Amino acid sequence: MSDLEQLREALIVGDWKTAAAATRAALADGVAPLTIVTGHLMPAMDEVGRRFECEEYFVPEMLLSARAMKASMEIVRPLLAASGAQPVGRVVIGTVKGDLHDIGKNLVAAMLEGGGFEVIDLGADVAPEFFIEAAAARNANLVALSALLTVTMGWMKTTIDAFQAAGLREKVKIMVGGAPVTQQYADAIGADGFSDSAGSAVALARKLVAA
Amino acid sequence: MSQISVSSRDRLRTALEHREPDRIPLDFGSTNVTGIHVSCVAGLCRHYGLATGPVKVYEPGQMLGSIEDDLRAAMGLDVIGVFPRKTKFGAPAADWKEWNFRGLEVLVPGDFRTRTELNGDILVYPQGDETAAPSGRMPVGSAFFDIIVRQPEIDEEKLDPADNLEEFGPLSEEDLDHIGRSAHVAGASGYGVVGSFGGTSFGDVGLVPAPALKNPKGIRDVAEWYISTRTRRGYIHRIFERQCEIALANLARIHARIGDAVDCMYVCGTDFGTQTSAFCSVATFRELWFPYYQRVNNWVHANTNWKCFKHSCGSVERFLESFIEAGFDIINPVQCSAAGMDPAELKRKYGSRLVFWGGGVDTQKTLPFGTPREVREEVLRRCEIFAPGGGFVFSSIHNLQAGTPVENIVAMLDAVHEFNGVSHV
Repeated sequence: MSDLEQLREALIVGDWKTAAAATRAALADGVAPLTIVTGHLMPAMDEVGRRFECEEYFVPEMLLSARAMKASMEIVRPLLAASGAQPVGRVVIGTVKGDLHDIGKNLVAAMLEGGGFEVIDLGADVAPEFFIEAAAARNANLVALSALLTVTMGWMKTTIDAFQAAGLREKVKIMVGGAPVTQQYADAIGADGFSDSAGSAVALARKLVAA
Repeated sequence: MSQISVSSRDRLRTALEHREPDRIPLDFGSTNVTGIHVSCVAGLCRHYGLATGPVKVYEPGQMLGSIEDDLRAAMGLDVIGVFPRKTKFGAPAADWKEWNFRGLEVLVPGDFRTRTELNGDILVYPQGDETAAPSGRMPVGSAFFDIIVRQPEIDEEKLDPADNLEEFGPLSEEDLDHIGRSAHVAGASGYGVVGSFGGTSFGDVGLVPAPALKNPKGIRDVAEWYISTRTRRGYIHRIFERQCEIALANLARIHARIGDAVDCMYVCGTDFGTQTSAFCSVATFRELWFPYYQRVNNWVHANTNWKCFKHSCGSVERFLESFIEAGFDIINPVQCSAAGMDPAELKRKYGSRLVFWGGGVDTQKTLPFGTPREVREEVLRRCEIFAPGGGFVFSSIHNLQAGTPVENIVAMLDAVHEFNGVSHV
């Protein structure tokens, strides 16, 4: 099995050690960093997302694949930046104010990174001003908001309103997700998109940045 | 505790036996998954014109408020709970003291100790020990504590299942005395009774981080735990195996002390469902959890008259056959808003074999954000679906969260009473 085949397999089965080793080996063989990402990481993570969508994979498998993808990206990312390669999009992601739940958000962040996005992950319990600050500073074109609680999902609207007040609403697309969030709620608060799973979030993000 | 008509307990038992009671039994506050946020309990007390002293917080993690006799009567509830001696953060539920919870005076255990950070977040300490690392955090904007993960560095070579078993052990005489006293008072009250004894939740990620321990060891990070269910199954089996042995020995001692003072036992709150899918396959469930659930439930059925209560949020229809086979009698919270959880279909397929304890109204949308009219309509529809033939205990889909309008909670209760054909309060 070639290094790149090994890398794909390692991502799909969630073996971070092999993913890191295969990435290093492929780079040593002269494979371009961008080729590793677009030609191998992205298709492998698309496959992981597909398996999740069809319930062949569940949260543990997704976490493992995300970990393997991160191990590979940590090696490739600095080389990509040095080469001037442009990501599919630049996304600021976080769980909204008052909410510390981050497993779902982390999975979406990993899938977005595996989908070719540059991901600025602000973590959990993120106040609106931090989303705005990060989006402006990093010139993001997408903001992804997560909430697990009915008591905190109101901060999604507060955050979107804050982007409006800051004059940045037209510069970013905003997508939302999390257990209590629905398409209807997303529409009501003026979000640009809603996704109910980590797998479909990537397709939504690609659609939003292409619009 | 006041003596009421015996009909509440009879009503619950009838429903649990899949026979239709005189009216649907109604539960709020008997467990940590059918509770009401302390702020809403205070609001209900005001609504019903009851003496509004500080409400006792019986579960300080989720900030669930105790429902005392007067409020229970005003709400028309049928079930009460028996709880362990210590709360989630390891402090005995005793020596109650007043605590200002962001403007609301409440009662908390004497050893419930907190610190407010400069940004307004509130930290809580395990066993009330302020020299230990805090184990819970309530951010500004939230209304309950999230567990702080304290994950020591993992050395695969040195992982020892005993590290993940520190919180499980033989009950002390003090613990047994507490359960014995609580169960006998509850059993004599005339209400139906749920016993939550602790120790039988296998891999509940709400408890895996061990918020009651000062220095948790082993696998304590939630994501790492999920990963371990895939990559360290032998390790998990050894934890569950030993936990099960400890639990069965404890249950024997509890039963010797309380007999059939309780009607059912809260076994486990491990969530297997997400909003749209599941945390694992049915095959994984059957390999990793099923044997231990079955041993606990079989013991309960062989030695007691208790029914076995399983809580799992989310889309769990795919697991219900296995839950039944494992010996569970009751499923909660019946999250009808999750994928594949159509109430009529659930009732049709499982209604004669599983008691639906919950499912009465959605708490993600209808109850917190709907109108009283929408609440009433949803409650009546759910009652029409779940009530026929018994096997239904009305409760909302999980705890009533902070911020839920009191008028909607009252509309929910009124609708159940309307369906039951009783005029209440």
